[in-house]
Amino acid sequence: MKNNPNTLQKILLAIFGIILVVFPLIAKNGYQIHILNLVGIYILLSLGLNIAMGYAGQINLAMGALWAVGAYTAGLLNTRLGFPLWLTLPCSIIAGGLVGGFVGLPALKVRAHYLAIVTIGLNEVINIILVNETKITGGVDGISKIAKPVLFGFPINTELRYYYLILVAVIIAFLIAKQILSGRVGRNFRAIRDDYKTAPAMGVNAGYYKLLAFVISGCFAGAAGALYAHLNAYISPDIFELKTTLFIMTLTMVGGMGNLTGSLIGAFILPVLQEYLRAIQDWQFVVYGLAIMVVVLFVPGGLMQIATLLKPYVTSLTSKFKKNKTGPADGEESNVS
Amino acid sequence: MFLELEHLTMKFGGLVAVDDISFSINENEIHGLIGPNGSGKTTIFNMLSGYYKPTSGKIIFEGKNIAGLPAHKVTQAGFARTFQNLRLFKSMTVLENVMVSMGHLAKTKLLNVMFNPIAAQKENDLFTEKAMQLLDLLDIRQYAHNLAVSLPYGTQRRVEIARALATEPKILLLDEPAAGLNEVETDELAKILNAIHQSGITIFIVEHDMKLVMGSCHVITVIDYGKKIAEGDCDCVRSNPRVIEAYLGKEEDL
Repeated sequence: MKNNPNTLQKILLAIFGIILVVFPLIAKNGYQIHILNLVGIYILLSLGLNIAMGYAGQINLAMGALWAVGAYTAGLLNTRLGFPLWLTLPCSIIAGGLVGGFVGLPALKVRAHYLAIVTIGLNEVINIILVNETKITGGVDGISKIAKPVLFGFPINTELRYYYLILVAVIIAFLIAKQILSGRVGRNFRAIRDDYKTAPAMGVNAGYYKLLAFVISGCFAGAAGALYAHLNAYISPDIFELKTTLFIMTLTMVGGMGNLTGSLIGAFILPVLQEYLRAIQDWQFVVYGLAIMVVVLFVPGGLMQIATLLKPYVTSLTSKFKKNKTGPADGEESNVS
Repeated sequence: MFLELEHLTMKFGGLVAVDDISFSINENEIHGLIGPNGSGKTTIFNMLSGYYKPTSGKIIFEGKNIAGLPAHKVTQAGFARTFQNLRLFKSMTVLENVMVSMGHLAKTKLLNVMFNPIAAQKENDLFTEKAMQLLDLLDIRQYAHNLAVSLPYGTQRRVEIARALATEPKILLLDEPAAGLNEVETDELAKILNAIHQSGITIFIVEHDMKLVMGSCHVITVIDYGKKIAEGDCDCVRSNPRVIEAYLGKEEDL
């Protein structure tokens, strides 16, 4: 498919990329880089949720638990069996995908609000298992002393080094997500989201694609889990509670459901904002709640929708710029909607 | 026999919507299904396209019973349908709408879609080209990149037909394709039907517009209250007293 070149998205992506590469080098302290590492992990989670919820329309409110599945898989394999990151990461992705598929099973029977409630329930179930299966998961104490990864004899033992590892992971994940959504799988996802009753008449196996959406979101959460476990060296159930799931949903909605670039923006803004909101403690959830309400009521497409509204102005500016430089530009974009 | 409906019955609770109906559709004919409102036409359609599981009876398509198969399997077996009220995918352009229907023809595996951009792109380009040819057939190429639901009603109907044809069906089921169209558009629709028929696709059509039905269909089946009351070519149906009584009423010019 030849998409119209979306100038604004490209500019935003470029700015984002430059900040990502340069910022950690000029950061004041390790903590700021740590926050950026978390941003990267939230991006992975948000991409997963965006594919399931934004594109396939399958509300997956178990992202926190799926993240936990990835983290615990990595944590256990590392502390018990000594698996390094390059082995725990694929294992976590597979585990996340399997549990994701399991969480998605109810989607074959229920949808919309009911699906939201069922997946919240499964989120809680997984959390309860983590807390109570003390022998395996360590209960509320969690798992500690997860080793920092060593890649090709090069120890990834500082926040800065880990940062570039996560950056690479995020870029790969983003490209894979984009690739999945660009072709027939993406179209089928949107078909079941737009009209789940009509899609089968067009040969789309709706059940299969619903499950696939959950499996993919689980895989992304699994990858995020493995990276988080090795980054933090310590994991415990309270990190992956329902509030985390809702935080992931909030940042994806603020960024833009149904837009992968939105995931990048939302996953950057909210965790950083969270740092500034630390002073008000639990009241920060009021801020997130308000953010969701504003998004749902006024800009269902999130910040990316606002960006799209500004797009005509930017396009006219850039085309003026081109005209001044190279004479009249041919190939005028014909934009609809 | 190409497609055979054998003693098809559909009950909704106590209501018998379709009552022991049998008829057959020959390959490469335009077969019409008419009947007053509520006579069970759309129910038959929904059974044929896998949306309803018949209470009893068989649908034999090329020697296989397809009754009760899920809708996507029926589509993959060679059925395509349009809907009475337009149901295009609202977030998609005309081209994307048509291309959704080609997904089940894809030969690339899921892992290829994810990790082999070149193969995926190649197939996507092939589908784009095929979709464009269909848009040409229905004369809607100029709208390819427009949001489908933003188009006028008549054009959306064409998109629906293009989308159904994109599944590469052996038989096309059209549920009231002329509903809401003006006379000019209906005439154009008749031409489109002929073109589709020429390309070797069997057409099964439910329609209220008698001019279109009488002008295009080779065989017409008439049902009333879920029962078949007549079958035959246009003249035969037109002169059948039961049809006139049940459906055409006192229209003397028919």
